[in-house]
Amino acid sequence: MKLSALMKKEFHRFFHDFRLIITMVLPGILIYIIYSLMGGVMNSSNPADFHYKVYVSGQSQATEIIKLAAGEGKLEYIYVSDIESAKQEVKDGKVTALMVFSENFDEEIDNYSPESELGKPSVKIYYRSGNEESFAFYNIATTVLDSFKNKFEINANANERFDYSETSDMAKSIMSGILPFIVVIMIFSSCMSITLESLAGEKERGTLATILATSVKRRDIALGKILPLSCISAIGAASSFLGIVLSMPKLIGTTVENFVGGFGFSSYLLLLLLIVSIVPLIVALISIVSTYARSVKEASAYTSVLMVFVMVLSLVSSFVPKIGDWVIAIPIINTVYTMQNILMLNISVWQCLVAIGLNIVYTGLLVFAISKMLSSEKIMFGT
Amino acid sequence: MGTEISDEIVKVEALKKTFTLSKKQQKIEKTSATKKVAVNELSFVAKRGEIYGLLGPNGAGKTTTLRILSTLIKPDGGDAFVCGHSVVREPQSVRDKIGFMTSELKLDGFFTPDYLFDFFGKMHGVDNETLKARKAELFSKFGIDRFAEVRVKDLSTGMKQKVSLVISIVHNPDVVIFDEPTNGLDVLTAKVVTDFLQELKTMGKSVILSTHIFSLVEKLCDRVGIIIDGKTVANGTLKEICGKTSLEEKFFEIYKNIKGEEV
Repeated sequence: MKLSALMKKEFHRFFHDFRLIITMVLPGILIYIIYSLMGGVMNSSNPADFHYKVYVSGQSQATEIIKLAAGEGKLEYIYVSDIESAKQEVKDGKVTALMVFSENFDEEIDNYSPESELGKPSVKIYYRSGNEESFAFYNIATTVLDSFKNKFEINANANERFDYSETSDMAKSIMSGILPFIVVIMIFSSCMSITLESLAGEKERGTLATILATSVKRRDIALGKILPLSCISAIGAASSFLGIVLSMPKLIGTTVENFVGGFGFSSYLLLLLLIVSIVPLIVALISIVSTYARSVKEASAYTSVLMVFVMVLSLVSSFVPKIGDWVIAIPIINTVYTMQNILMLNISVWQCLVAIGLNIVYTGLLVFAISKMLSSEKIMFGT
Repeated sequence: MGTEISDEIVKVEALKKTFTLSKKQQKIEKTSATKKVAVNELSFVAKRGEIYGLLGPNGAGKTTTLRILSTLIKPDGGDAFVCGHSVVREPQSVRDKIGFMTSELKLDGFFTPDYLFDFFGKMHGVDNETLKARKAELFSKFGIDRFAEVRVKDLSTGMKQKVSLVISIVHNPDVVIFDEPTNGLDVLTAKVVTDFLQELKTMGKSVILSTHIFSLVEKLCDRVGIIIDGKTVANGTLKEICGKTSLEEKFFEIYKNIKGEEV
């Protein structure tokens, strides 16, 4: 009864205050607006308007299949012999792409077998991923050529540069990289807005001391705060999640149906579970700081430092290349890292489940720590 | 001490509490000592149905003593008993018997008196039926019923204070502990508090309060304990302590004898 009364109080406080509800829902709306606007700017072209001008070196029947896949009248081939000049023109954006087939490509495919001593025939495609038209052609060409899988290699030389995109053209991929970071920060802001007042506010007003003088257990007080605050913050998290789902298609220039279909239900489910699992962890982290602080003002100052710390952890995961799987043991980083993998379609279910499980375990440990803090004379009364 | 209920409703025996001073506190206290004895072998007894006052200057150990009695902090030595229950060994039983209130308490302005009364009632484990009856009785007695559904932030200071006071006795405790009940209050609100304390006495409750206000003790307390440097230096009825002098004169006389200096 005591735990439920504590929880009901937090829910009552939230659901009867319109401003708090707005604070919770706002992050999702902001994500939707920001990403839609960015998508609008980045995807100003319509794929139907593309007209591909592609240089080709060498001969292959595959070119005709690619032409069919691109659409009638959409693709123009220009056969070249000076590959270096052609590469430069791709780099300069004068042509869509350059395809280089090895000599006697089709014959080599017909004669190739894995047992043969001859190397696999190869095709090289030079393009710019930052340019929508060039990237669209690259996708069409690789989709067609992939149907001949194991017969030859596409862009096999790891030391050669095939993507001529400039750094500025990478904005889209960087945005996908920092999306988890933005989600975590949005969730943190939502949690902060309600958690600070709930614990530090009660402490400052002296109502926490009055509750401590009742027969309610310290563990129940900790749970009575963390559970409802997590549920309330989960509304903010769900809002952020919806913001992502609805705005990402606009960001990458596709429809919601295509985006959701390409991404897969399981990816969405894991993404949602990850977001939901990190909410109680963040609430518990802020609660620790709130319980330690003597006033809401002090708690705000401490939480700002905590937020910077969380931002750094999230950024580490977003921008440090080739980070190892061991990072799933580290709170916050694990969630950002796993979210990134999901968004990059590099999904690993066990990794997600471990990250979610660890988030729950860390939250449990923090709840235990808060119960102990509530029993500490030094922390509660500064003695 | 067993759990049998005697006339001595609160018994404090050689209570001791020492705090570790932080660098900041050392600076404030102008001392290089790392420890401070807040309560030093403090003893007193409060009887059933009386108002007992702990009188002393700031830093004498009054708040620490009341926090120990309320089981918010633990003593380093000695023990205290409330209705026969040890604050050290049976804190949960003690919490059921006491109501705790400090003048620093500020209720969340968002909630109504009605909601807060129910909430704190549930914190004390009071069942719904009892809670309803108790709310009707106390709200009517203290004139809160008309404001039961008004948010605390919209109440007058006096009414806010009444709500805080009523909440502290929601579970009908035998002993009510008030730390500096009129500290920082204007005269009108202070009167609300003193009237409330007198009402508690007529209701048969025992009240332990701390204060540094002589007039409050003279007006309300049946017995008083004077605390200086964490020790009880005088204990008894006003007549026993003061004789024919005023409490203020007597206090400064005792203070001078102990500290060896004028205030």
